[in-house]
Amino acid sequence: MLLELNNIFKWVNQGGKRIFLLSDLNFNVEEGEFISIMGPSGSGKSTLLNVIGMLDGFQEGEYNFLNQPVHAMKDKERSKLYKEYIGFVFQAYHLIDELTVYENIETPLLYKNIKSSERKALVADMLDRFNIVGKKDLFPSQLSGGQQQLVGISRALITKPKLILADEPTGNLNSKQSEEIMQLFKELNQEGVTIIQATHSESNAAYGSRILHLLDGRRNPH
Amino acid sequence: MIRNYFKIAWRNIRANKLFTVLNIAGLAIGICVCIILFSFVNTELSFDKMYSNSDDIYRVNMETSEEYNFETWATMPNAVGPALEQDIPQIKRMARLIKDDFGATASLKIGDKNFTENNLYLADSSVFKMFDFEFLQGNVETAFSKPKSVVLSQTTKKRLFGNQEAMGQLITVNNHDTLEVSGIYADLPKISVMDFNMVYNIMDSWMGTNVYWSNASYETFVQLEPNANIPEIENQASALIDKYVDKEDQYFTKFLLQPLTKIHLYSAEVREGYSTKLGSITTIKSLLFLSLLVLFIACINYMNLATANSRKRAKSIGMNKVLGASRRHMLSLFYVETGIMVFLSIVIGYAISFLILPLFRSITGNELGYQDLLAAPILIGLLIIWILVTLIAGSYPAISMSSISPLILVNKSKTKGAASELVRKGLVVFQFAASIVLIIAVTVILQQMSFIKNKNLGYDPSGIVAVSVSSAETGQQIQSLIKSLERQVAVESVSAVQSMPGANESGRAVLKLATDNTGMPIASCRTDGNIVQTLKLNVLAGTELPETITEGDSIIYTLINEKILNYLGYQTPDEAIGKIIHTELGPRALITGVVENFNFNSLKEDIGGYMYYKSRRAPEGIRTLLVRYNSQNLSQFMEQLQSTFNEALPNTAFDYQFLDRHVAQLYASEERTARTATIFSALAIFIACLGLFGLAAFTAEQRRKEIGVRKVLGATVTGITQLLSKDFLKLVLVAFVIAAPVAYWLMHKWLLDFAYRTEITWWVFVFAGLAALLIALLTVSFQAIKAAVANPVKSLRTE
Repeated sequence: MLLELNNIFKWVNQGGKRIFLLSDLNFNVEEGEFISIMGPSGSGKSTLLNVIGMLDGFQEGEYNFLNQPVHAMKDKERSKLYKEYIGFVFQAYHLIDELTVYENIETPLLYKNIKSSERKALVADMLDRFNIVGKKDLFPSQLSGGQQQLVGISRALITKPKLILADEPTGNLNSKQSEEIMQLFKELNQEGVTIIQATHSESNAAYGSRILHLLDGRRNPH
Repeated sequence: MIRNYFKIAWRNIRANKLFTVLNIAGLAIGICVCIILFSFVNTELSFDKMYSNSDDIYRVNMETSEEYNFETWATMPNAVGPALEQDIPQIKRMARLIKDDFGATASLKIGDKNFTENNLYLADSSVFKMFDFEFLQGNVETAFSKPKSVVLSQTTKKRLFGNQEAMGQLITVNNHDTLEVSGIYADLPKISVMDFNMVYNIMDSWMGTNVYWSNASYETFVQLEPNANIPEIENQASALIDKYVDKEDQYFTKFLLQPLTKIHLYSAEVREGYSTKLGSITTIKSLLFLSLLVLFIACINYMNLATANSRKRAKSIGMNKVLGASRRHMLSLFYVETGIMVFLSIVIGYAISFLILPLFRSITGNELGYQDLLAAPILIGLLIIWILVTLIAGSYPAISMSSISPLILVNKSKTKGAASELVRKGLVVFQFAASIVLIIAVTVILQQMSFIKNKNLGYDPSGIVAVSVSSAETGQQIQSLIKSLERQVAVESVSAVQSMPGANESGRAVLKLATDNTGMPIASCRTDGNIVQTLKLNVLAGTELPETITEGDSIIYTLINEKILNYLGYQTPDEAIGKIIHTELGPRALITGVVENFNFNSLKEDIGGYMYYKSRRAPEGIRTLLVRYNSQNLSQFMEQLQSTFNEALPNTAFDYQFLDRHVAQLYASEERTARTATIFSALAIFIACLGLFGLAAFTAEQRRKEIGVRKVLGATVTGITQLLSKDFLKLVLVAFVIAAPVAYWLMHKWLLDFAYRTEITWWVFVFAGLAALLIALLTVSFQAIKAAVANPVKSLRTE
């Protein structure tokens, strides 16, 4: 088992009332799965991804990641855990504007104190694999959306995470670019990477092995 | 990793041009000011440290008794030095020095040329060893081996003799002593209070040989054995007073040792020293404070602009954190960025400081040179500035921004806006409060200066030239000079006196009755008459001093001021006329006139007792002619005056001073304070404006969408400009409320230095407040208008 969420509650207080973002959520993920989370806007898709990605906390419930109790961890341990095992892909790509393609991909390795020669080899592999060697000295603003997302995915993969969390990865792309990215995710999954994506699109969801429907922060069993 | 920090930091700096330019401009100005002032302070602090015996040389000062208000004097009787040397074993050598003729300008005659000299000293030959004199011609042993020898500094030799041989030449001083040049020494260091241009042997004069414990005119330096016990020596020295001086003649009570290295800066309370090269530790402290304030204001700019910019940076910080950056990584990144920025500012500020050094020199009258900017302590200071400014300016942005959560990426997250907003506002308020305090300070200082200039002194110093006749060969010469001057059309009147007001009077006492033992200390000044007319004194009763006194008349005729009148206890001025009073001058002094009090001293001091006297047997000589002139063409008049002078006194140098300039000179240091304060406040305000300008730009940027929506809903350009400007103006108002009382308190304290001072009026505050408001408004409204006229479609589309 990669991770399990048991009876997760997350809420915010607004005008003296509790508004539930996640409510009594139970959810297990095995290694090697490709899961799509679907639901209308505000159903809690992103919130759930942030909880799984340990960027955001929750008020009640248990979260075990690789059999370690995330809910009982301190901030530092938690961030150590996600830096080790999780890669993130965003709808808005979130590349660092001041860095070139090469440097964007290299950044996670820097923070892991990996040696320079090894970094070069790893980044070169990645550029090669996604056919963006020619773009390595360009800045994000000089790339198309699809290319930017490719860089975003390369950057997420460079540290060889077990789990990729993708929040509407094709939301800003046209249909052709979308298809390419989803195809890529499928390949990655076949290589053994676990993927959880949040999406609005039925066709994108179809790439996954399993779909989780959310409505108002609960599983929608329909 | 480090390389990466530099790379990112450098790209950030380049990407954000406005931000960078504003920051570097502010910091560079602040740093430039600091560099120049540090060099100034550095030279001031290195005074007199270069002599091999510097640490063991002390000046003996003496504390006077109650009669002289316990003042500390640097001059003392000529008996003190020899007594100290003889009775105290820890004193290795002593040197007494006195300026020729008690500090009056000396007139030198070489061949048929006349020169003036202000720094001609009589001294014991021990000064040569004490102060490491380096003889270029002659040597220490032979310098004073012949009687009536004089040694010259190299520069003075050049001035007097040019390139001709000086050794063995004769110099006639004040037409009474002829001295032979017996040595030339290398100029003493510039940063030394020792300002001898010429030295001759005090033992050739009665001043060295005829020792007494009364007249205090001699500065006395001692060189102690290494590691001497200072308090013990001071006690031993003070004990000599009882040993050598009768109780009733003791007008001083204690001897104090002042280290040579402290004379330059710590002599504000010590009176009567000869050196003119004095600084002031208070000036240094306030300059340091002001320069650090300016630098701090520049640091605040950086903090403000950097945090204002944080919204733009938040995304990349969040992303870095998701990618594995720790808080420490982000802290380092920000510090590196600040470090680079500060480094650039230092380079630019340092370069500017070389460019504006001449300007600084002309403003402050200081002699700072380029080499002073290159001194090691300055370079170390730059390093310290670099580190400190980076840490201080970088602290707030680094700490606040490194704590941004990666959640910023996923929710359109709320940065901790409120807190940083508050800090930012606080910083702006501080900047403006400091600026307003400076504006008020400058206004009050300038007001006081104009008050001083326009104050009725009780006499009229303008239109008077004071001509020195102290070196006249005979009284006859002076009389004939006066006669020929009085014949000239441009001359209104001439008065022969001992001293210009406040320069060189004699301290005496007037006694009420025969039983009055202490009396009132007054300044007495000999004159040969015409003084009321020449100075335009206001006579309250009686008349001018008599024009002539018949042979055999032993009466001392006096003109007293109201202070003396009051002390003597007369009810009206008229009552005093014709009365006989006791003065130290002699028993029979007659009051011929009473004049209104006049400010013979600086306006920092209250008016004391003052007496002009005329007598056939006056103890003091005539040293100065006060000439009141009335001429449209001053240079022609001065030429005429000089030729008349040369005719009457062919062997004396023509030395003169305008009385009004002499009076202005009394406030030279305040004049400098005024100029310095003006510059500092201008800089502080300018830097604060740079920050405000940037801040306004960022606010406008932040509120772009809001402005767009408002415009779509029908807001006018004026309305939006007001909206954006209002917030900043509120801050200026808060700053004013804080600044006003601080400024009042500071300036009230500063004015207390003056016995005569202007009021701090309410309009100064109104003026400062309005000025700050106006400056802020101009700065902000530029950005506000720019934002307000922008097309709303653009700002809404980009969201």
